[in-house]
Amino acid sequence: MVKRAIERIVKEALSLGERALVEPEAKEMLKLSSIPVPRFQVVKDVRAAVEAAESIGYPVVLKVVSADIIHKSDIGGVATGIKTREEIEHQWSKMLLRVADENPVAMIEGFMVEEQVPKGVEVIAGAIKDEQFGVVVMFGTGGVAVELMKDVSFRLAPLDRTEALEMIADVKGFPLLTGFRGDNIKDIFAIADVLVKLAEIVEKTDGLKELEINPLMVYDRGIMAVDARAQLG
Amino acid sequence: MGGIRNLESLFNPKTIAVVGASPTAGKISNIILKSLKHSSFSGKVYPINPRYKEVQGLKCFKSIADIGAQVDLAVFAIPAKTVPGALRDSEARLNVAVIVSGGFGETGEAGRALEKELKEIVSRTGVRVVGPNCMGIYYSFSGVDTFFIPEDRMKRPGKGGLSIVSQSGSFAVTAMDELAAEGAGAARIISYGNKADVNETDCLEFLIDDEQTTAVALYIESIEEGRRFVDVASRCAAKKPVMALKVGKSAVGMDAAHSHTGALAGRYEVYKAAFKKAGVIELSGYEDFLSACKALSVLKKTVAGRRVMIITDGGGMGVNIADACASLGLEVEPLPEKAKEQMSLLLPRFCSVSNPMDLTGSATDELFAEALEKTLDTDGYDLAIVAALWGPPALTDELPHLISEKAELADKPVIICSPGGVYTRAKTALFGKYGLPVFPSPESAARAASILCRGRRKA
Repeated sequence: MVKRAIERIVKEALSLGERALVEPEAKEMLKLSSIPVPRFQVVKDVRAAVEAAESIGYPVVLKVVSADIIHKSDIGGVATGIKTREEIEHQWSKMLLRVADENPVAMIEGFMVEEQVPKGVEVIAGAIKDEQFGVVVMFGTGGVAVELMKDVSFRLAPLDRTEALEMIADVKGFPLLTGFRGDNIKDIFAIADVLVKLAEIVEKTDGLKELEINPLMVYDRGIMAVDARAQLG
Repeated sequence: MGGIRNLESLFNPKTIAVVGASPTAGKISNIILKSLKHSSFSGKVYPINPRYKEVQGLKCFKSIADIGAQVDLAVFAIPAKTVPGALRDSEARLNVAVIVSGGFGETGEAGRALEKELKEIVSRTGVRVVGPNCMGIYYSFSGVDTFFIPEDRMKRPGKGGLSIVSQSGSFAVTAMDELAAEGAGAARIISYGNKADVNETDCLEFLIDDEQTTAVALYIESIEEGRRFVDVASRCAAKKPVMALKVGKSAVGMDAAHSHTGALAGRYEVYKAAFKKAGVIELSGYEDFLSACKALSVLKKTVAGRRVMIITDGGGMGVNIADACASLGLEVEPLPEKAKEQMSLLLPRFCSVSNPMDLTGSATDELFAEALEKTLDTDGYDLAIVAALWGPPALTDELPHLISEKAELADKPVIICSPGGVYTRAKTALFGKYGLPVFPSPESAARAASILCRGRRKA
């Protein structure tokens, strides 16, 4: 059932000629696989945005939804910590102008109003299909500098929980998850479950080439997929 | 793909034809013929060349068909453009062809077309092909040797348990020469070149159940059947150590623009993940490859843990080894209480009864043996590095024998670190004689230890 629902998301996007899923679609896939994501609604106008924010509860995050924009925050497509109706109206118009300025040809499908989740340890978790070896899973310490720091580890799918735990322990930043400088130990088992699931989703879903969560917020108990992207093909 | 079908003919042929056999000294075919004549190969060798009646004193045939009997192995050392025709004419009477000729896929459009022709012949007829653009086979047990570098330039290793599977011929033959110089042995060496048919996975699959092979070292440029490789390598690694050097590490990620995963998952990272999945020991370069070959050609097995005991008669060397071990992620744990007590009773007061253990200049053969026995006997260590400097006057030629006895008793690998000059180097062979791998420096000994610990770790 879950597999079919995930396949349907991919098929629909492919039939529309899309090469990637937008964030709400990618998150829908995660939700179907029981990977927690923040509560969100996709809206088309500012009144709906305010209504969404009020039903979700402040503070909220506002994000642009567009298949043409790969790194949203780089072009001002993300506003966090929105606490009032006035703020959301203000951020809405500001974001429209900025995005239009930075990427005038981007097709904007709408905006996400999303629950602002607490800060945790940020990690990255992804899976990608390799022509020769099948699905490759990646784990790393997160943040925007991931490509610079390259503190990542890889394993081949299928992945069991032990392998997932090993690949988490492989990165240099592992102590960040085990109580670095008096902090509490983080939910490493929840990360392992996410890695196992990502491997499975990408392996079993035709047409899905990559699925990545960055950042995956890790707490003392539980995790939250704050942003996600998926490549098709 | 042909898998392992007919590969036995490669190593144990009763008949070998050398296609393009030439009487001209220095020609590839001439060298191959000479090697086969002078090796321990006991089967029949047929030179094939329509231009001669006799080559190197052997009757020369016009073609393979002309021999009038089935040929197990034919070595083709003729110009690339004539290879497909010659193979087509002879495949019916042939089990395996080793095509050493270059000028195929590695050279451009015309060469790629010739290679495609070879592949078609393989899939249509079922003849097995090693190469083209390779050096072929060396098998110490049967004397089959198609490596076309004369023995006086590149020595061949004697009989041993290590098998090498290499995409590159020059890499394999150089490693062979170094092993031979060290007195280390080898079993089957395969240079498979452009892999028009037989590839690394086929070779590895063949070696799974090969009793002569106790360890496998792979030199890899690329793998096409990735999933099959992981499956076959896992099965092989479950039976014997499998090590791999993958070159071309800086090849870029697969899909740079879209995601961090794509940008960071370079080709090498994927290979690494595949090796890890299969329990294959990853090697970092030529030195690592050689150390691995040397260590595994005598030691036969890897270890589950990474705790190293260091025993020496030179304190400085011991600390240096400990540093080298630590930098490679090995653990140099302090001595367990019991071993410490036992050794304190045996050793003079000024000896350092810890890890590294320094027996000092008062070291004797027996003290080395005792120290090894008492420390490896505990479950505190997985392997030992013994750095016996030959200075202490009481040390004799009995030392290697005593060390090897204790290593066997404990059933744990012991690596010898033996830095020194003329006297020391003359003693290297003694260790080799008793199945102890010798390395000339603390760094190289620690590297060998780390290779043994890189295999799949027991849960």
